[in-house]
Amino acid sequence: MEKVKIKIDGTPLEVEKDSYILQAAESIGISIPTLCYYPHMTPYAACRICCVEARDGKGWSKIVTACNYPVWEGLEVYTYTPRVVNARRTNLQMLMRSCSPSPILRKLAEEFGIEKPRWGTGDYTCILCGLCVRVCDEVVGAHALSFVNRGFERDVATPFNLETESCILCGACAKICPTDHIKMEDIEERVLSHRELNLGPNAAITIPTRQAVPNVPRIHRDNCIHFKTGGCMVCADVCEKDCINFNDTDKVEELDVGAIIMATGFNSFDPTPLKQYGYGKYPNVISAEEFEQMNNAAGPTGGKILMENGEEPKTIAIFHCVGSRDKNYHEYCSRVCCMYALKFSHLVVEKTDAEVYQLYIDMRTYGKGYEEFYQRILDEGVNVIRGKAAEIIPASKHRSKEGDLLVQCEDTLIGKFREIPVDMVVLCTALESQKEAKETGRIFNISTGADGWYIEAHPKLAPVSTTTDGVFLAGACQGAKDIPDSVAQGGAAATQALKLLSQGEIFMDAAYAEIDEKYCSGCKICNDLCPYTAIDFDDENNVSVINSALCKACGTCVAACPVGAITARHFTDDQIYAQIEGILS
Amino acid sequence: MKRLQSPDELLQLQQKYKKNRDERKTTISVCAGTGCIACGCEKVITALKEKIKKEKLDKVVEIKTTGCHGFCERGPLVVIQPDGIFYQKVNEKNIAMIVEKTIMNGQLVKNLLYRDPTTKVVIEKEKDIPFYKNQKRIIFNKNGLMDPTSIDDYITLGGYKALAKSLTELKPDEILEEVKKSGLRGRGGGGFPTGRKWETCKKAKNDTKYIICNADEGDPGAFMDRSILEGNPHQVIEGMIIGAITIGSDQGFVYVRHEYPLAVKNLSIALKAAREMGLLGENILGSGFNFDIEISRGGGAFVCGESTALMASLEGKVGEPRAKYIHTVEFGLWDKPTILNNVETWANVPVIIDKGSDWYSSIGTEKSKGTKVFALTGKINNTGLVEVPMGITLREILYDIGGGVPGGKKFKAVQTGGPSGGTLVVETADKDVHQSLVEHGDIQDDENIKSLLDLPVDFDELIKAGSMMGSGGMIVMDQDSCMVDVAKYFLNFLMEESCGKCIPCREGVKTMWHILDRITKGEGKMEDLESLEDLSQVIIDTSLCQLGGSAPNPVLSTLRYFHNEYLAHIEDKRCPAGVCKELVAHAIDETCNGCHACVKPCPTDAIIGKPKELHRIDQDKCIQCGACYQVCKFDAIKRVRTDEGDAVQVKAKQLWQSHSPKKTEVVM
Amino acid sequence: MTTIKVEKSYDVKDAIDKIIKKYNYKPTALIMIMQDVQSHYKYLPKEALELISKKMKLPMAQIYGVATFYKTFSLEPKGKNHICVCTGTACHVRQASIIIDKLERDLNISVGETTEDGEFSIETVNCLGACALGPLVTANEEYYGNMTVAKIDKMMEDLKKPKVNKVKREEVV
Repeated sequence: MEKVKIKIDGTPLEVEKDSYILQAAESIGISIPTLCYYPHMTPYAACRICCVEARDGKGWSKIVTACNYPVWEGLEVYTYTPRVVNARRTNLQMLMRSCSPSPILRKLAEEFGIEKPRWGTGDYTCILCGLCVRVCDEVVGAHALSFVNRGFERDVATPFNLETESCILCGACAKICPTDHIKMEDIEERVLSHRELNLGPNAAITIPTRQAVPNVPRIHRDNCIHFKTGGCMVCADVCEKDCINFNDTDKVEELDVGAIIMATGFNSFDPTPLKQYGYGKYPNVISAEEFEQMNNAAGPTGGKILMENGEEPKTIAIFHCVGSRDKNYHEYCSRVCCMYALKFSHLVVEKTDAEVYQLYIDMRTYGKGYEEFYQRILDEGVNVIRGKAAEIIPASKHRSKEGDLLVQCEDTLIGKFREIPVDMVVLCTALESQKEAKETGRIFNISTGADGWYIEAHPKLAPVSTTTDGVFLAGACQGAKDIPDSVAQGGAAATQALKLLSQGEIFMDAAYAEIDEKYCSGCKICNDLCPYTAIDFDDENNVSVINSALCKACGTCVAACPVGAITARHFTDDQIYAQIEGILS
Repeated sequence: MKRLQSPDELLQLQQKYKKNRDERKTTISVCAGTGCIACGCEKVITALKEKIKKEKLDKVVEIKTTGCHGFCERGPLVVIQPDGIFYQKVNEKNIAMIVEKTIMNGQLVKNLLYRDPTTKVVIEKEKDIPFYKNQKRIIFNKNGLMDPTSIDDYITLGGYKALAKSLTELKPDEILEEVKKSGLRGRGGGGFPTGRKWETCKKAKNDTKYIICNADEGDPGAFMDRSILEGNPHQVIEGMIIGAITIGSDQGFVYVRHEYPLAVKNLSIALKAAREMGLLGENILGSGFNFDIEISRGGGAFVCGESTALMASLEGKVGEPRAKYIHTVEFGLWDKPTILNNVETWANVPVIIDKGSDWYSSIGTEKSKGTKVFALTGKINNTGLVEVPMGITLREILYDIGGGVPGGKKFKAVQTGGPSGGTLVVETADKDVHQSLVEHGDIQDDENIKSLLDLPVDFDELIKAGSMMGSGGMIVMDQDSCMVDVAKYFLNFLMEESCGKCIPCREGVKTMWHILDRITKGEGKMEDLESLEDLSQVIIDTSLCQLGGSAPNPVLSTLRYFHNEYLAHIEDKRCPAGVCKELVAHAIDETCNGCHACVKPCPTDAIIGKPKELHRIDQDKCIQCGACYQVCKFDAIKRVRTDEGDAVQVKAKQLWQSHSPKKTEVVM
Repeated sequence: MTTIKVEKSYDVKDAIDKIIKKYNYKPTALIMIMQDVQSHYKYLPKEALELISKKMKLPMAQIYGVATFYKTFSLEPKGKNHICVCTGTACHVRQASIIIDKLERDLNISVGETTEDGEFSIETVNCLGACALGPLVTANEEYYGNMTVAKIDKMMEDLKKPKVNKVKREEVV
């Protein structure tokens, strides 16, 4: 790459030949104002705001645009001579004559020292910078926008000013528009938990939350422009470590393992079917998870507890056992809700002046320090009502003194029906098994109970093992539990797995089945029947083989083999006949 | 048409045609350029053909419909060769007389001959008419002599000889040397040395190169290119082929503006004929060289005359120019090396190759060689196309060839170079102009400067004097033109033709126009003049292309030379030339003779008066449309300041004397 | 504003097909293709532009941008008698603005518009190149030179007369 020596504002530097002044200046910290420039597109040079004076040191000088003027040996650039400054100021004022004073124009005006635009201001929001057209053409590749008309009637539009099929709804034009002339409009009914969240273009690259593990961005195929038009890939251009590979595909890997630990976690119960609580219908009725996210300092409100209209609530009600201990949904207790409900009350009291109501059936505070924490909450003035909420009624249907939602419940301790006006309701939703738990379990040969959780080998003595050797359980997939219990169980499962793997030898049951190769026809009937996945197929010799470490000698394969090639040790036909004879004699 | 297989065959064919041509045969050439068509020459041609047939003369007399002869003021034109008898303003009713008297009996039809307006002398032959005599035609010389749709005519007159030479005697490097030595500079307005342009393109490394002919003659008042394409398209084609041989291109384009249908038609016919004869297309004259030309029509955008905008338009996009930091000779059409030259430039090339660069460079001045075709229009007696050697003065063009300003009115300014770059050349020796220059601060009161009209017409001399030659349009203005209005007109033109990409042109020109509009309506302020000067400098500095870059020139030059007119508009609220409607009133003065001609055209019935009596314009009803002013043959309608209308008419009433014969009183 | 109904859709398709084939689908010919379509329909119908976009595989946005950039294109039908007034410098200096005023007054429309009955439309053109005859007006491919306000009346009379079938000018090869 040929380099040339140039000077910018008197400072000499060496840059690549035919590179542009703008970047060369930036490299030595001189910033030149721009309006229509964007680093990942070819420079357009329409706004002329980036103009600078180019000289050759021998008397020649010319005003050129820094964004697209190629440098040459001996070029001298001056970025703020009176001629240049005057040119920029006049150009900006000429533009302002037609356009409304949007923030970006006002910022430039301030930078140039313009107090009052010389020829007044106009009312058109588009500054005809062309960024939207060019991003749609060059980067996105959708070609949905173009410049129309000519001269002072020039405008930006879709063909015939109608909706066009070419638009892929990526929102790049709205994002790049410096004056908000282009806005995205929501055309579908999207239910939001918090409607004050700004609707922007669908981001194709996000980090799910600020505390995500691993804390790296990921690309959402559905929103990514590259997967719609084949263009863009600006992210790959910019990535200094070259981590982005658009041609990556899902790979299927086969691993031979000795132990498997299932830690597939839990799902939150969706309270929408409980129509009496109006989740998704009434504003400010939210689930516990949403409330937790709101309280997080990295969440949508920055940790503040706010209602949908952006104000702080004055009264909050927390309902326990939504979906748990409920004959219609889950009969079990979700174990963790009482404690986090108390935690929520504490947070509310700490962050706001709101009044808190807890509607509970039983307060299950079984753990270490839990009961003491409950006392503390009571001391903080939280109102606890023993009784389930029957219904939430919006106050518009009913006269109310304060709050927009009316909670109707029975206070069983005082034996009265109560109607409590509140601003916000938090539903402590049940923990339930994952939707796909049953199917996943089948792959690993373990089963789920009626409550949906995976069944352990023994509820008391072997809570982390399953009936399938080598497959262990940890965490909430085995049953609702909180963090300390999950951690303990995780450790236990790991130990069990290690115990299995670290044995040089293992003790097996004497009784197991074996296949006589001579007789095996390779029909594979036995392979799928084994409930312990102990039978494999040897492709080379075309026979089935039983893994005696896994075999539990249940006898299913023995009975199923059409040729009779399988025998169970210590349970051979002869031995059984002999036992029968012995009984009958 | 037989396909020629070699340059020798072409030269042989040429000899054959020349030998077979009877020099003494009577040929009637009728001008059929667009200008004459608009005057009704088609009827003349039809009548002529019928009459010749009727008189059974069709074997002895040849009728040739030619391209533009150039003397558009006097069309339709009929020239009878070989004597060169020149009949002007012919209509179909004159044909019978022309055929019977001149063709059959060798007599002249006196009333159709040209009468010099100043000397009043009647001139019989074309070559004696001052309009033609003072020109030097090396490009335009074939226009009146050939049928543009006949390739044989062109070959007979020596056409395509230069092409043959370029394929046999000269190698591409030698052709380039010839063009460089000739000193030919671009005729489109830029004046860039053609040889240098070709050389850079030739050096560019690329297998694909393009040749473009810029026929998007958008300058209002310029029709040189149109006439060349209509009248002699083969010369342009020949030039392009020679250019292609020099740089190694196999594809050329002619970008013609949409408003020139006859040029497109004649060019198509010419291309087809050239292909059939083996002069264009594959294996040109058996040399193995391939080159073909496509016609592309413009869409009605003046900005497409700019080279990068033209190329964008050729690529099927909108005509937006781009920065010229990257030269089109290296990265042009579809990013390939491209030569773009004007029609007239291409037409010069065969002449240079045929007659040699020494001969060519003997014409013209030191830095500007050859001739230039100008379109002389506006307030001038002899409107039309003139071809003159570089170095001639404007005064000679305007007065010797142009015949001066009609109606005895005073010459005010001539605009050269179209609106884009349209600077004015004025009679700087004039006292009003002198006063303006003093007021504008350009000279001291006692300083005398040489008249711009006496400068030689040459690229560099005019630029040195603060003007420019431009593409060839020359529009003459007289005392009835308001210079503020002229500046506003040019800005309006550019405002409408601007592509709208860059801020200085799109917003700046519009701002300047608004200021001028206010001034012409009597709403101007002194700080407006400051605004205009400030805006102009920035627009010139920062515009992306030359449309914007030279847009302020008319304003700057009118401000300089006609400063007092601006002051009159702003301070006195008066338009001295009587053009700006809001600042003018129409009034009838005492020279009115009651002919009643002005009453009918008046759209608001504002003129009151009986025949043979003094007429009067009702100032309240008058909308200043100017219809009466156009119609009055006695110059009785005056355009005065808005508040002077009534006063003029009151005075007229006092002074008016009846024009009818006096009735003598009988004294009893 | 009258609209000329574009008849059946296959008519549009056929006509467009023929025109595009004539120019060999070249992108350099886009403007000429659109001009031919316009002279066929007297304006550029939306369906025609969409077909051009599809057949030539060019984005609709580009075609629409081109259609609105060049002055020769009209997305709305022009009048049966399309009157063009030359506003070149030479004609301006010879007071072409008076001619424009007269036409606008008589037809009660502005430059760029069409009369209610679809009979007349007015347009300005930047220099037709016949400057000796300024002010110049063209209507239906006829040139009317040296126009004055009085001559406009005569021209309008001529235009309003029912048209005799004239010999069509040859199509460009």
